[in-house]
Amino acid sequence: MIEWLSAGLLIVGAFFFFAGTVGLLRFPDVYSRLHALAKADNLGLGCVLLALAIQADSLAAALKLLLIWPLVLAASAGIGFAIARRARALGIQPWQKEDAR
Amino acid sequence: MSTLALGVALFLLANLVVALVAAARGPTPADRMLTALLFGSTGTAVMVLLAASGGVAPLIDVALVLALLAAIGGIAFAKRAWHAEGNDHD
Amino acid sequence: MRKLRYGTMIRFLTIRASLFAGLWWILAEGRSDAWLFGCIAVVAATWASLWLWPAAPTPIRLAGVVGFLRFFIWNSIRGGFQVAGMALRGRAALQPALIVLPVNLQNDCARVLLINTLGLMPGTVGVDMDDAGVQLHVLDRRLPVATEAQALEAVISKLFGASS
Repeated sequence: MIEWLSAGLLIVGAFFFFAGTVGLLRFPDVYSRLHALAKADNLGLGCVLLALAIQADSLAAALKLLLIWPLVLAASAGIGFAIARRARALGIQPWQKEDAR
Repeated sequence: MSTLALGVALFLLANLVVALVAAARGPTPADRMLTALLFGSTGTAVMVLLAASGGVAPLIDVALVLALLAAIGGIAFAKRAWHAEGNDHD
Repeated sequence: MRKLRYGTMIRFLTIRASLFAGLWWILAEGRSDAWLFGCIAVVAATWASLWLWPAAPTPIRLAGVVGFLRFFIWNSIRGGFQVAGMALRGRAALQPALIVLPVNLQNDCARVLLINTLGLMPGTVGVDMDDAGVQLHVLDRRLPVATEAQALEAVISKLFGASS
């Protein structure tokens, strides 16, 4: 049962990383790519960590895996904001849809 | 299970390579900064998956340290961005 | 370091030492063969923490932490699904815009937490912040981002001990 749940979470996690990469490739400007990477990749990492944590040998080992998540979240939040602010300071205008102006 | 973990690790590695190339090509300097995000999330995920697939437990510690460094780097990044323009209060 | 009453100081030290001991237990994966190093590390960390993070009452409320975590985890999941769906549909799904929202949080830490957390919430990334409010990049201007940002602001203001 736990095996299957864990396998499912791993595959869902891989899907989110894939979606993040697809977003990076397909989205038109740095701001929207930032959305894709920050949100999709972090959820993917959360799924992967949870998948491994429910299979861990001990409670402490599981918590150790889960401890990684908030650290990477803090990293992504800080780096994401820094990139957006830097892009703005560089004068990069957000991409707009032509017919929506 | 460990085969699946290894498979996912390799898949994420491929993802990481593609994303790094895409981010490094830009076109703007801000796009290239996206590589910093990739190492934190995808890099850590690859590490923990390799630890699980090969039974190499110490790799978990590597992942934890990578995550910790990413967090410190992220905060430093944000602070730098904050002070870069000088006209803001903290 | 500010002067504190003896009893208060003992309480701070106990709380912090227990936190660090718990952290060591997790890092050692529950093994007990390195407890001597563990004790040294806990004492050193507690001692160092007094310099880096002076013992003073934090405004953070425990009930607020639980509320924040629930809100945060639920909305990161939503945000992940939403952006994954948009990525698969391509740029046709996007209608990006820069918007400015007013922020009422007074505490500087709370404001920094707000703008950073917004980057992980559905549809928003913080771009800039000043005294009046935050500037956000939104992926789709048709989404109710203002309502969601206000909900986050309310959760953060509870985290920092506001009664409202």
